[in-house]
Amino acid sequence: MTDPLILFDLLLAGSIVALAVAVLSVRDLFTAIVVFIVFGLLSALAWARLAAPDVALAEAAIGTGVTGALLLKTLHHLRHFSDGQTQDAARDLTAVQPVPMGVTVANAAFCGLVALGLAVAFLGAPQAGPGFDALVSDAMPHSGVAHPVTAVLLNFRAYDTLMEVVVLLAAVIAVWQIERGLTEAPAPALGMVWAGFARLTLPAIVVIGTYLLWKGAEAPGGAFQGGAVLAAVGLLLLLSRLYVPQPSHRGLARWAFVLGTGVFAGVALLVTGGGRVAFQYPPEHAKTLILLIEGLVTISIAVTLAALFHGREPVALNAPESRHDT
Amino acid sequence: MSGWLEVWLVLCAAGVLATLGAALWRVWRGPARADRMMAAQLVGTGGVAVLMLLAPAQGWAVLDVALVLAMLAALAAVGFVKSSTPDGAGDPEEDDPELAMTDPDTRSGSDAG
Repeated sequence: MTDPLILFDLLLAGSIVALAVAVLSVRDLFTAIVVFIVFGLLSALAWARLAAPDVALAEAAIGTGVTGALLLKTLHHLRHFSDGQTQDAARDLTAVQPVPMGVTVANAAFCGLVALGLAVAFLGAPQAGPGFDALVSDAMPHSGVAHPVTAVLLNFRAYDTLMEVVVLLAAVIAVWQIERGLTEAPAPALGMVWAGFARLTLPAIVVIGTYLLWKGAEAPGGAFQGGAVLAAVGLLLLLSRLYVPQPSHRGLARWAFVLGTGVFAGVALLVTGGGRVAFQYPPEHAKTLILLIEGLVTISIAVTLAALFHGREPVALNAPESRHDT
Repeated sequence: MSGWLEVWLVLCAAGVLATLGAALWRVWRGPARADRMMAAQLVGTGGVAVLMLLAPAQGWAVLDVALVLAMLAALAAVGFVKSSTPDGAGDPEEDDPELAMTDPDTRSGSDAG
């Protein structure tokens, strides 16, 4: 008795494929961004439908909220490139050069090979096999948490998760290397709509982000979802200029960037010894350690994503050739 | 699937999803940028409705996804309004050419590629 769900699935899958084609084929950058935001929204629905609420939460928070705002800011950055060369520079940057035929053919061949490989892997895989469900549920009592996804992410497969946090750290280091400078434009007075929106939503987002982090131990949620939601707080603070980054805040920001990675790696190394290897938490302390790691990683993720959105190291620059703009 | 109520709710979810096709059409056709962005916001609102209708059949954790979507789907609109004003003030009532209801193709467009 799955008939109504099949109807739903066909509609959803058809829309997602159509949106994927649209986002690749549309020429107008703004339209492409909006289509991509909608694509993220429907992907979140698809993940929910695939019974993966953890992924759906992350997709809803990152795919629709943070990425959309980030892409729109990038487009704005391209448009108002700098005072003198606004339109010309933007047109140069966004001009689409015709791609040589050989490149297209090579790309198509490569994509075909990848698709073929995926098809072979899919058809060759044992159909409706048991997967790792049994292994995970056997090991759950030793994990320290009650939610299997959190157990896999922060205990059984913690090394992989540590590397994911490192990726964010590397990204913010690279951005701070490339872009420096302050927001030169004086902060204009906030409108009534703005002040009201920020006042209403900011506390609610803080509560929801913390809630997602807290319930990650026994239900879908966790550090990445909570961090992404809390990053939205940072985005709103930056957008509404309730918070303006200052050079003197860099030290604190750096500590926040490395906090998650540092504590995660530190805990992993400190639990070694006495017959245990790295990342092998003692079962009696596993829950405490996982909650500690998750809480600090959440702070790091939120601050890092917000810093990536701001997109530059707040340094007072005196050089007149600085090309930084608002 | 168990019970006619869940079947009915899933059918309702499929119906809401189908109506979002109209919003997708508006995202695609525009013509103004505000039209596209408001259609994306409509998909966000509809997505919240779809998730809530699916929750009984799909598990109650889906409600958390709806909660996050409801809070954060508006972030794109905020970013849009902010990025549409050159000084970043984001006052919707400011007289700004980029927010005006013009066809983006006929503007002295910088984004037409």
